[in-house]
Amino acid sequence: MSATTQETLEREPWTGPTRHYDIVKEGVIATFVVLVLTVVLAAIFSSPDDPALTFQGWAKSAPDNLYATTVAELAGTSDSATYGPPYNTNGDGQAIGPIAPQKWAGVHQPVDPPNDFVINPLSSQQQPADVADALVTWTSASADVQAGWATRYDTALNDPQGANGDATKVPAGVGGPVPTLATGLVAMATSGALDSVLPAPGQFFTTDNTKQILFLGDGSYLDDAGTANHLQGNEWGMMNETGNFPGQQWLAPFSFWYQLPIFNSDATTGVAATMTANADIYILAIIAVMMLLVIFLPYIPGLRSIPRWIPLHKLVWRDYYRSRK
Amino acid sequence: MELALRLSSDAPHYLSWGWLSVSVPNLIVIGAMLALFVLALVLPFPGNRRKTGDRS
Repeated sequence: MSATTQETLEREPWTGPTRHYDIVKEGVIATFVVLVLTVVLAAIFSSPDDPALTFQGWAKSAPDNLYATTVAELAGTSDSATYGPPYNTNGDGQAIGPIAPQKWAGVHQPVDPPNDFVINPLSSQQQPADVADALVTWTSASADVQAGWATRYDTALNDPQGANGDATKVPAGVGGPVPTLATGLVAMATSGALDSVLPAPGQFFTTDNTKQILFLGDGSYLDDAGTANHLQGNEWGMMNETGNFPGQQWLAPFSFWYQLPIFNSDATTGVAATMTANADIYILAIIAVMMLLVIFLPYIPGLRSIPRWIPLHKLVWRDYYRSRK
Repeated sequence: MELALRLSSDAPHYLSWGWLSVSVPNLIVIGAMLALFVLALVLPFPGNRRKTGDRS
């Protein structure tokens, strides 16, 4: 059948049988059924939400890690401090070769870990005398002196041949006010005060959790919680949910790529290291290509012929195809 | 209700085959989706016979 004949046929008025169809009635019934199912299932199964992680929980369960992370924030060696755009200029962000959208977008949500995570929260509340003195010492010093204190203390604290994470083994006098500030922040977190100060200091609404998540992500507390709940990216965590609930199966096309060794490598150099460091943007690009393939499927030779090779539609409309024989 | 609450608060059991890992709740939902797909393929359309009669 030529295209012109097909069009002519399609433009002819329908002369076959008709029947009454009330789409409003069907819509109302469908909405009611879904509403009842939603209420009943929510009443039976409730929500899988676990209690939110807090700095108080971090301080009580892993105070040494919070202490070391605080020192890293002051020294500028944490993941947040070295992340790059959109938070700071200390990194380039992810890129595919010359395509670097994070870098192009620039810093549009500035986060200054030493001040935002440590100094400002400590300054916002009454502190013990030693912490207050340490704050004055820190804030009255130049940026170079501050960086020198924090870097020396961070290096000494994490020296595998020395303190190896144990603050009591760091020689006295190293780091100026840094150990006192870190101890003060751990004490503030233990009391629960840091949880209410960090989100949006001085603001009534606290809906921006960027700083908490960045700070939590710099330590081991959030990471350990993710591992315990099977939520890590390299264990299909994108598809999982806390508790005994099904998760997000529709994210399988994304999650799948994170399981491949090339996007999940411990290598520090080479192709695997580059692909792992830029996994998010590479996988986003792969999904974009797959989406384009689906969108333009009718125009792609070969792919558009799949229904001819695997005629599933003939199974669905088997009565019609049977009657044509 | 109590059973549902107890089941939902338990830690899920995970099944692993090499690089593939899936929780039992996820597996049940995936299985249900596949079963629905197969049923949609093989079950006849409701009222199909009457419609066919209308046309003839």
